[in-house]
Amino acid sequence: MKDLYFPVMAEITGVKQLSPMEKLFEITLPGGVDLEHDPGQFVELSLFGVGEAPFSVSSSPTRKGTFELGIRNVGMLTDVLHRMEAGEKVGIRGPFGSGFNVDDFKGKDVMIVAGGIGLVPVRSLINYVLDNRDDFGRLIILYGSKTDKDLLFTDELQQWTDDPKVEYHVTVDSGSDDWTGNTGVITTMIPGLDLDLENTKCVIVGPPIMYRFVLLSLNSKGMPEENIYMSLERRMKCGVGKCGHCQINSSYVCQDGPVYHYPDLADLQEAL
Amino acid sequence: MTRFLLTEDKVITFIEHLQKQKNVFAPHKRGTNSFAFEQVSDPASVMLDYTRTLHSVKKYFMPPREQLLSFSLTDNSFAEPTVDPVDAIFLGVHSYDLQAVFKLDHNFSEGNPEKNYLKRREGALFVGVTFAPDQWHFSGSVGINPNDADGFDVFLFAVENGYAVEAFTPAGESLLSGFEMSEFNSDIPAAADFNQHIYVPQGKLSEVFDNAWDNEVWEETSKECVGCGTCNMVCPTCYCFNVEDGVDVTATVGQRERHWDACMTRDFSEVAGGEVFREELAARQRHRVYRKFKYISDKTGQPWCVGCGRCTASCSAKISIVNIVNKLVQDHEQATVAPV
Repeated sequence: MKDLYFPVMAEITGVKQLSPMEKLFEITLPGGVDLEHDPGQFVELSLFGVGEAPFSVSSSPTRKGTFELGIRNVGMLTDVLHRMEAGEKVGIRGPFGSGFNVDDFKGKDVMIVAGGIGLVPVRSLINYVLDNRDDFGRLIILYGSKTDKDLLFTDELQQWTDDPKVEYHVTVDSGSDDWTGNTGVITTMIPGLDLDLENTKCVIVGPPIMYRFVLLSLNSKGMPEENIYMSLERRMKCGVGKCGHCQINSSYVCQDGPVYHYPDLADLQEAL
Repeated sequence: MTRFLLTEDKVITFIEHLQKQKNVFAPHKRGTNSFAFEQVSDPASVMLDYTRTLHSVKKYFMPPREQLLSFSLTDNSFAEPTVDPVDAIFLGVHSYDLQAVFKLDHNFSEGNPEKNYLKRREGALFVGVTFAPDQWHFSGSVGINPNDADGFDVFLFAVENGYAVEAFTPAGESLLSGFEMSEFNSDIPAAADFNQHIYVPQGKLSEVFDNAWDNEVWEETSKECVGCGTCNMVCPTCYCFNVEDGVDVTATVGQRERHWDACMTRDFSEVAGGEVFREELAARQRHRVYRKFKYISDKTGQPWCVGCGRCTASCSAKISIVNIVNKLVQDHEQATVAPV
């Protein structure tokens, strides 16, 4: 019987500051083997003596040899991790959970609604689409952030801005003096979109409060519920459907999620 | 099958007979009103006539604290802990507690089977005994009666002046072999009645819980509840856990441990950054009770509560799970009865 709780010892092979609070860690598994994850899946990262926590994989499985985790410094484990450098070891278990079923998205327009740190997990899907660009229709990205200083992956944001095959829209709640882009909440960008509603798969990832307002806005727009997907945050302690921490009604986020098809989520109380 | 008479005066020698075969764990009196399963050293101190133990035998298969791995901080290596089968005879187990073990077996076998639990479970034999329902037991409402021998290797049916002993498995027969007893050919007296009940058949509970989400009982009980999680700690079917690392004083080695956790506590549903998904005590009480009667039950077809009464007996706020469920039943029936 496989042991559920033993990590693989992996190496941090790159660290990049994404914003004042977030860093991107490039992780290499022993022998450089691929993680073989689906976009949207998560891993459990552990530091011996500190603990273990779940993190969504931020890189696309199309980028081979390493994978990336975008991590906000918000607790004890992440604080220690933020002080670590390339060459140091971390424990990895996973990938776990259900990610985006990209086959269902093929041939469709893909619309991403990402709020704040929600861009980190959904970036795995964005880059998957970009690396298989001909398999998908339009790629529409709506990204909302508290301020322009908190924007993540600014190099990639610039590439999306420059790419004629990406429709990238960004807004910040409050911009600094040199911010020339949109100001306002993310839902303000939805009414003006010209969408082929029946043919668009819409993915929402962000803080709980954002889901409610984005759903209302998509509903007014006429987006069919069966075209909506979301990724939820919970603290999965085990990742294997045992510990109970991530449970929403009868669903375990570490097994049925973190990516949910909205019609499956609509009946779950306490989900949003 | 043949039953044998174990008279009261032979119980100690019977326990000694069992001890020759394997380690024996049985209820012992602790304090003024409490009982606890402990390894038998003195057979005379075993209490076969007891109400309920504070904790069930779950503690042997899923210990309150358990090492998942040990690690070295000097070279980032880790080692597998030694997990041995408990491989013992559990004597004097009540029917509801064995049913609770079977439920845990399901939880730790389905999906991703868990090595630690399943390894510990190996070799365990169960010798059951009749219980007399007290003011807290209600296992009859979830289909578990005082004389239910389902799943036991041996059962001791309470009769006048002792027990009628019956083996139900080859392992059980082997436990009895070599111990002289006369045959018992009378009927087993009916077990005593329960003093409280859930007022619908267990098959209807799922339907009751379909309409229970917004019931005022959650808010009402939360006014008394202090969110201590004792109900979770004493529940024989609760198996949620937390995982934490501990470091030795030398700061060179340590261990990753899991320990029992409680969904009634605030931090159970907390995520990084401080968001709590069941902030209100009412929501936590509802989650606990739904886990016992709805969430797992819809997948398995049976309640995940075994009616032992521990959560209620141990609650410092005197919150009764039976009263909660009966309130839901009552409101459900009033809502579904057609107006006259």
